[in-house]
Amino acid sequence: MDTESGKEPRSSSSFGMRLAPGVWVGSLRDLIERVFGAPPLKQLVNWGRIYSLWPVHLMTACCGAEFGAMMGPRYDPERFGMQAATGSLRQSDVLIIEGTVTKKMAKRVKVVWEQMPNPKYAIAMGDCACSGGLFHDSYSIVNEVQKVIPIDVYVPGCPPRPEALLNAVIKLREKIRREEVYSK
Amino acid sequence: MTAEHSAIELDIAAIVREQLGNATQVKVDRKGRVSVIVPREFARDAAVGLQRLGFDHAIAVSGVDYRSEKRIEVVYFLSSYSRDDLTHVVLSLKVQLDRENPSMPTLTAVWESVNFFEREAYEMFGVNFEGHPNLQKLLLQDNWDGPPPMRKDLKIPELA
Amino acid sequence: MSTLDLNVGPQHPGSGHMRIMVRTDGDLIVEATPDIGYVHRGCEKIAESRNIIKNIPMLCRPNIADDSHLNWSYVAPIEELQGVEVPERGRYIRTILCEINRIASHLYGMSIMAGIFSGHTTMYMFGFGDRELLLDLAEMLTGARLTFSFFVPGGVRRDLPKGFKEKLLETLDHIERRLPAIDRIFVSNPVFIERARGVGILRREHAIRLGVVGPVVRGSGVRCDVRKDAPYGVYDNVDFEIPALKEGDSLSRWLVRFEEIKQSISILRQVIRDIPKGPIARKSPIVVPKGEAISRIESSRGEINHYIVGDGSDKPYRVKMNTGSFKNLSALPFLLKGARIGDMPIIYGSLDYWPVEADR
Repeated sequence: MDTESGKEPRSSSSFGMRLAPGVWVGSLRDLIERVFGAPPLKQLVNWGRIYSLWPVHLMTACCGAEFGAMMGPRYDPERFGMQAATGSLRQSDVLIIEGTVTKKMAKRVKVVWEQMPNPKYAIAMGDCACSGGLFHDSYSIVNEVQKVIPIDVYVPGCPPRPEALLNAVIKLREKIRREEVYSK
Repeated sequence: MTAEHSAIELDIAAIVREQLGNATQVKVDRKGRVSVIVPREFARDAAVGLQRLGFDHAIAVSGVDYRSEKRIEVVYFLSSYSRDDLTHVVLSLKVQLDRENPSMPTLTAVWESVNFFEREAYEMFGVNFEGHPNLQKLLLQDNWDGPPPMRKDLKIPELA
Repeated sequence: MSTLDLNVGPQHPGSGHMRIMVRTDGDLIVEATPDIGYVHRGCEKIAESRNIIKNIPMLCRPNIADDSHLNWSYVAPIEELQGVEVPERGRYIRTILCEINRIASHLYGMSIMAGIFSGHTTMYMFGFGDRELLLDLAEMLTGARLTFSFFVPGGVRRDLPKGFKEKLLETLDHIERRLPAIDRIFVSNPVFIERARGVGILRREHAIRLGVVGPVVRGSGVRCDVRKDAPYGVYDNVDFEIPALKEGDSLSRWLVRFEEIKQSISILRQVIRDIPKGPIARKSPIVVPKGEAISRIESSRGEINHYIVGDGSDKPYRVKMNTGSFKNLSALPFLLKGARIGDMPIIYGSLDYWPVEADR
């Protein structure tokens, strides 16, 4: 934990500078990160995050129809905390890339991603978002969406069934449950 | 094609031939399909004449790039809402243009519905529509710098 | 006067995948310019480099909720050029799938307009819940919920499975029972009527001049529908009416779609009762003969056309598709001029504009 020079890499399990055995000096922010980044509070924070995933209302291409169907009453993502898409970007957590991203839309996707506050996640839905899909040889699309924004979960399919998209949401929840509270 | 089925198409073809004279070629392909080929100088007069006949809106405008014959053809597909006997007819008005410098007068003053269609033909084939109120890119990305994409010059690799 | 430029951009609950640049003077819209092309994937160019059968899934993607109409419109010119006629049973099965698709697509559009664009999600849940039953039927017939790719030049891919007729009649009974509830709760609702009546009026002469199609033109008093004007499939053997209302406002465009669902249910009952036995497809070579042909099919958003130029090879020389949404686009700046900002979602929703179809 303590290096020769007295400076340590910043992680949630370290707190400030060690002066003497049992005595540390640091900022309040370091203390909060240490307390909330360690179990059991880490599990509480992650539990809150996975049950309140709000998607962004950005429809990229035709997979939006199956995203709409997933939000419907038969598949009901609200039991997993994913409620109807709001218009406000500052209050959203998940960006679902539904389908092909054209070059014209890629610029706007990046702007939307940068406006979302941390922690934020992205799901690439459909073959076109994963790797280009049916339109991979088109002159106007971006084949690899991970060059535009970092993706957490890929869902193949053309379009993926709503059950597959729900499975992706569940996988995203598993990922959030495992991750550090202050890693992003 | 029996006589009573094709009566209206033959009537239309005869009227168009009479109005536009020898410069046009008029053909009845089958029931409900008439095609008229005009050179670019007569495009506007042909359009006005057809509108007076009852073809009050355009259902599509397409460019076709015949690279080996060095021409680009702009086809206006017309139909009618107001004349009951013409609602089943699609009349193709084909304007032949030179491939190096395709340019023709706009027909937005005749049929307002071709406004967006001509913009698309402009950016996809490079056809200049003289007098169009807003001839700008419609569908392509903001910084497109290649050739007009629907021309045969731009090649998409063929799948096996 | 000083105006404010607003950007109702691609990320907006009321715009879909397009941008509307709006110039307002206070609450009134002075000018509205649509900016489309956010989903332009170059379908027509890609179609020239694949053979005609491989083009079918790709060319049906522009309107994924209305797949069967795009499919029919693409294979019809190829059949005309090849001289192949679809057998009668094949035409009946095509009509069944198309009418199921029409009801599902209308429920989608109506749910969005009377639901999300009016500010609540209840109609959205009603419409999408009932739509799922229709998608189950389509899955029973074709194997896919939305992307059927079921028609090939010459006929259809599969025959009706066992038990399809009973399930179809059961589903139609259920939807017929739900329609009065939708009427009572959402259509006769004074809030919805206040929002939609008299909003975005498109008069008959403007509708003809702008060349709009589908429920938009029928809501303005022009009783035109390709299924009656130039019948294809089995529509000349079936009894049905074309609803048309003359007010031309957003409410009448919505009511035209509502009536069309009832007419589609009646068509489906007649078709499934009268379907003959026989082959479902004729052999058709994988080649597009020299020549050109154009098709006209009435999809749920309007008339779609495919213009195909063939050169004798297995790939088409030119495929041009024009869809209902692209034709209705010229109505958007016309109707928004002079409207209030708060009416913009209702006007946009009443046109049932599907951006992916317009951009292709």
